[in-house]
Amino acid sequence: MIRGGRSYVTSPPSFSNDAKKLLVCTGNTVSVFSAATGLQITSLEGHTAPVTTLIVVPAASSPAQKILCYCWTASLDGTVRHWDFSGPELLKTIDAQLPIYSMVIPSLLSEPQVQIDKRRELSGKLVAYVSVEDTSVVKEGTKELRGHIRRFNLAKPRIPRGDTLKETEEPESIVISPSGEFFGIRHKCKIHIWDVPSGGGSRHAVSRKMTLHHSKFINAFAFHPTERIIAAGDVTGRVLIWRGFGNRKLALGNQKKKVRAMVDLDNAGVRGEDDAESCTTWHWHSAEVNVLNFSSDGAYLYTGGREGVLVVWQLDTGKKKFLPRIGSPLLYFMWSPDPTLSSVVCADNQIHLLKMPSMEILRTISGIKPPPSLPRMYEGLASTVAFDRSSGIAALCTENYCVQLYNLLNDRGISEIQVCERNHQPGDEITVVVTAVALSLDGSVMSTTEVKLPEDGIGGLVSLKFWVSEPHSKTFTLSTIVYEPHRDAGVSAIAFHPTRSMAVSTSFGGDFKIWVCNSDKNQADKDSSWTCHAVGSYKKKPMTAAAFSGDGTVLAVAVENVITLWNPDKNILLSVLGATLTPITKLCFAGTSEFLVAASHFPRPELSVWNASNLSLSWSYGLRIEAVTSAVDSSSFAVLALIPKSFRTDESKENIFRSRDGAILLFNGSDPKPVSIWTVMKAKGGSISFLEGDKSQLRLAYVNGSHEYVVFDPNSDESHERSAVDYDGLAGQEETGDAGYTSLYGQLPDYDKKRMEDAESLATPFVSSERPWETIFSGSTLNFPPLQKLCAEFFESLMEKRTAVVE
Amino acid sequence: MEEELRVRLNEHQVSKVFPVKPKSTAKPVSESETPESRYWSSFKPHSVPNLVSSVSALAFSPVHPHSLAVAHSASVSLFSSLSLSSSRRFSFRDVVSSVCFRSDGALFAACDLSCTVQVFDIKERMALRTLRSHTAPVRFVKYPFQDKLHLLSGGDDGVVKYWDVAGSTVVSDLLGHKDYVRCGDCSPVSDSMFITGSYDHTVKVWDARVDKSKCIAEINHGLPVEDVVYLPSGGMIATAGGNSVKVWDLIGGGKMVCSMESHNKTVTSLCVGRMDSAETRLVSVALDGYMKVFDYGRAKVTYSMRFPAPLMSLCLSPDGSTRMIGASNGMVFAGKKKKKLSRDAGEKKSLSLWSVRGQVDETRRRALRPTYFRYFQRGQSEKPSQEDYLVKEKKGLKLTRHDKLLKKFRHKEALVSVLEEKKPANVVAVMEELVARRKLMKCVSNMEGSELGMLLGFLQRYCTMQRYSGFLMGLTKKVLETRAEDIKGKNEFKGLLRNLKREVNQEIRIQQSLLEIQGVIAPLMRIAGRS
Repeated sequence: MIRGGRSYVTSPPSFSNDAKKLLVCTGNTVSVFSAATGLQITSLEGHTAPVTTLIVVPAASSPAQKILCYCWTASLDGTVRHWDFSGPELLKTIDAQLPIYSMVIPSLLSEPQVQIDKRRELSGKLVAYVSVEDTSVVKEGTKELRGHIRRFNLAKPRIPRGDTLKETEEPESIVISPSGEFFGIRHKCKIHIWDVPSGGGSRHAVSRKMTLHHSKFINAFAFHPTERIIAAGDVTGRVLIWRGFGNRKLALGNQKKKVRAMVDLDNAGVRGEDDAESCTTWHWHSAEVNVLNFSSDGAYLYTGGREGVLVVWQLDTGKKKFLPRIGSPLLYFMWSPDPTLSSVVCADNQIHLLKMPSMEILRTISGIKPPPSLPRMYEGLASTVAFDRSSGIAALCTENYCVQLYNLLNDRGISEIQVCERNHQPGDEITVVVTAVALSLDGSVMSTTEVKLPEDGIGGLVSLKFWVSEPHSKTFTLSTIVYEPHRDAGVSAIAFHPTRSMAVSTSFGGDFKIWVCNSDKNQADKDSSWTCHAVGSYKKKPMTAAAFSGDGTVLAVAVENVITLWNPDKNILLSVLGATLTPITKLCFAGTSEFLVAASHFPRPELSVWNASNLSLSWSYGLRIEAVTSAVDSSSFAVLALIPKSFRTDESKENIFRSRDGAILLFNGSDPKPVSIWTVMKAKGGSISFLEGDKSQLRLAYVNGSHEYVVFDPNSDESHERSAVDYDGLAGQEETGDAGYTSLYGQLPDYDKKRMEDAESLATPFVSSERPWETIFSGSTLNFPPLQKLCAEFFESLMEKRTAVVE
Repeated sequence: MEEELRVRLNEHQVSKVFPVKPKSTAKPVSESETPESRYWSSFKPHSVPNLVSSVSALAFSPVHPHSLAVAHSASVSLFSSLSLSSSRRFSFRDVVSSVCFRSDGALFAACDLSCTVQVFDIKERMALRTLRSHTAPVRFVKYPFQDKLHLLSGGDDGVVKYWDVAGSTVVSDLLGHKDYVRCGDCSPVSDSMFITGSYDHTVKVWDARVDKSKCIAEINHGLPVEDVVYLPSGGMIATAGGNSVKVWDLIGGGKMVCSMESHNKTVTSLCVGRMDSAETRLVSVALDGYMKVFDYGRAKVTYSMRFPAPLMSLCLSPDGSTRMIGASNGMVFAGKKKKKLSRDAGEKKSLSLWSVRGQVDETRRRALRPTYFRYFQRGQSEKPSQEDYLVKEKKGLKLTRHDKLLKKFRHKEALVSVLEEKKPANVVAVMEELVARRKLMKCVSNMEGSELGMLLGFLQRYCTMQRYSGFLMGLTKKVLETRAEDIKGKNEFKGLLRNLKREVNQEIRIQQSLLEIQGVIAPLMRIAGRS
């Protein structure tokens, strides 16, 4: 079983001391990438919930210490861990008992490593300030202050409740100054700053606090490395620079040195009673500022935000330099100990390594990109994920009009194909949408459709593109563009012929077109082009889905609620399969068998299986189907079903489903009983596909709604056991709600047939008429299989059974 | 794989600039530019003064400079092949039907409808010999391939005669054709073998060495034969009759190899053409005005060209540089290739001249001093030698004016600048880009008087053009709606609006008539589909 597609961008990455490695928080683990190649070297595994903070222990300047590879991590599972990431080896675990959202260790920065080690041995103290969520103190009805800033001593293996410095509604992230003197949090329109008690801090040393005010919500702020300067960015795009903060309130503690003991009321730009000498505002960003970072010498300030432009300000003069068109909102900017290297992290799961000071992108550590946000009219219609079954590569539509090729088997981005020649500007209105991507069975041809949305009814354009793969470089080159393939109607589905170079596109305008590749044998491959071979329509009704049979002799096209079967070569209507209750949205032949799977979901969801040889309905379920796939060689097929909410929130089942909203059901040919069932998270917008690299091994890939994925063997016991282990291991984390990449949970035990029948016979008396899944099936009884075979009861029986087994 | 992947990842660049590109238009499925078609279309048309009536025959002299004999009405004109101008003219008593040069190019024979065959010296006006024996109009006359003493002729009396020119006597009468003999050709490998074609649908093969005046082989074309020609190997012949051209294998017993039926009217003349690559093609002309080039090896028509008149005769010069086609209305379509070989030779000469100069320059260059201007340019035009490592300069993307303006978000100026360029595809591309930026209507509402006039002029010209109409019709409507006040009063827009209205009305009429036609066709299609 392979899991992947984790987000690289949940928390800021960190460079190692020699700048050759980049540590990235990826869900429950920390991945270590090589900065020279951009490939993953190793990972630190041990946390049982997403890692939120990563602190690389800085080394002194001597070269011998540059190879020190220690880091601290903090996680939502409530532990702080100390690692040697060259190993990788877990050195120490400290249990803080509360989920940690952010952590800083000031003494690491203020003092060289050797001294710290010595002192820690002596005094047994290493002070950390953490931002935790404390749910225990929250009472009903009161204003909830769940986020706490606390002081912990990491020298002890088990931390008692530390001193609370501040309470906020939500856990905030703590920012520390590079010198280790100050740390602070942002809270709405304010910045709270504490200074760190010098001298390692006895337990009772009190940190002093000051506050800076602003009229807008502050998004991010940063401390100057050497001077008392704070830069903050707000939601409107302004960058504020406070100089000389805290001269009064945070006067250097021990030395008692009064820098300026006067009260200047005409401090330029400073609000109210705030303790700062001056405040200046720079306004270039048009949208919120998320990234703020001073350069290591303090001469420059790096800012960035939603518009995807990295701006470098010269601090003294306010002059700017830009790295434009990154194409995605910036989240973090990190400079490395190597002055020629820095990294910028984007919201589309990409980490760009920049060559400084020219700010060229050297290379990119590419995670799986998040799904594009589609206009409402295309929701549910777009098919934005396609699979190359032989090589395990997924083609995913992305926000910036590209198709990303992602290798599911080794969790790595391969390349990106610019489908539409435009630059994506995050935050702009969406005017061009890549609505569908399809790959041929051998992965050599890709087809995409894009829609240019009209302005005031002028100039909408649908275009269909065919791409051929370049065998060596694993990318695709454009072969043919078809403008307005179905006049002005949108393309609803694209399907490829299993063996020949033939494709079909269906449209809402009431026709389908068969496209063939007319590559001449004499001509080179690049000269091949796709031309329309035939056009068909059925009663001028909108066509919504299409599929070729396993051997390619029959083409099935869904026309509202009937299925038409065609001979794709001669373009002859062979027959029409009777009506379902609602319009069909997905069609799929079950492998080589004569069964045809059709799914429809509006207004009444239905999964129906038709026998194409005697043109009759075999069976059907009232399930909302998100995706269908079938194996090439056998007759098995799998569907991804959404579990109805009413069913899920039922009290007796709540502890089974938790946050899982979907299920993958594996069927075998005509048999209406699923061979196996897995429940999954974030099934809405997800997709599944069989992967069959070599004949012996059949695997099932599931990509969920936020592009996390899992690849597993649907038939083997091994995967079952492993998934069961994962299920146990992950059980604790689910209350936290944002369980990063976990998507697949335990497989139900395989029931033998006898037991199943028992379950069914047991199930029937339970059924009472007020249950919602009962009414789903009220319709023409002719269309339905025997009542006892209906899915919901069957499901329910299974679920009841399972709780019994578990308990 | 790992290495490769790394390289790919390193290449990744985020910032890109996409210039606005017009939509690519459909290309023909078959390649329009093949080397074959390039060769045949490279004959540059030359104007030749119109002749009086139908050009019945054309012949090139086999020796350089390949002068040309053109038979038209009752005369034969000699043309020089270089200037394609008439140099000498020979008169006949009746319409000349055929003309042929001797192998050394010094004499030519011509026959006319007054039953005579005449032999001329190209330098003298009077006939050297007049051969009289035919009892009906003579249709063709031919010199054997290398033989300078004999002639072959045939006519409407159905008799093929083999002449001794010096004595003006008939060596043998070759009997066998049952209808008019129209054409004939002599074998390129043997002086005593020839073929004749007749209206009795047959082509007969003769051998002068066989005494009995009987044909040695016979081929049935199936239609009245208009022209026959030996292919260069001498073992195959091509026949033209009716709409078809057929290729036969004589050695293999007269079997048909292939046939070409792409002409729509009677094929009148055949000729063997030699291409640059020493491949040979069969060229045919017909009354439908088409010249077709037939690759008989692959049985495929490789080139076809249309002329504005029924074509009667065709001839290609032996060096392949000139193509002459005679039409029934007296026009001669002459085509000449540019002379490549001679120019190459000229270049070589000039090159050698340069190299001498180059050495001189070398000695001079050594003495360059900072006082010379050229001192500061030294080495700038140096070519890299093979072992030098080349550092390539990154080529910047060339941006047009409207792209630069779009890059700076000066949308209206970009639209105006592209409207000035008068390239409709670019204008529509810029407009589509503006739609994608949601700025088109803003641009329209910001336009000033003259700019608005330019936009209206563009819309008037192109809004009914099929390729752009889907986009421009909607825009036209919107422009007229939003700028109604500005357009209404102005005199300068009046003409534009009137034209626009007319265009739209015309388009509506066209659409209606198309609908009517569709109404007629649809039932027919339905019936055809049912059967």
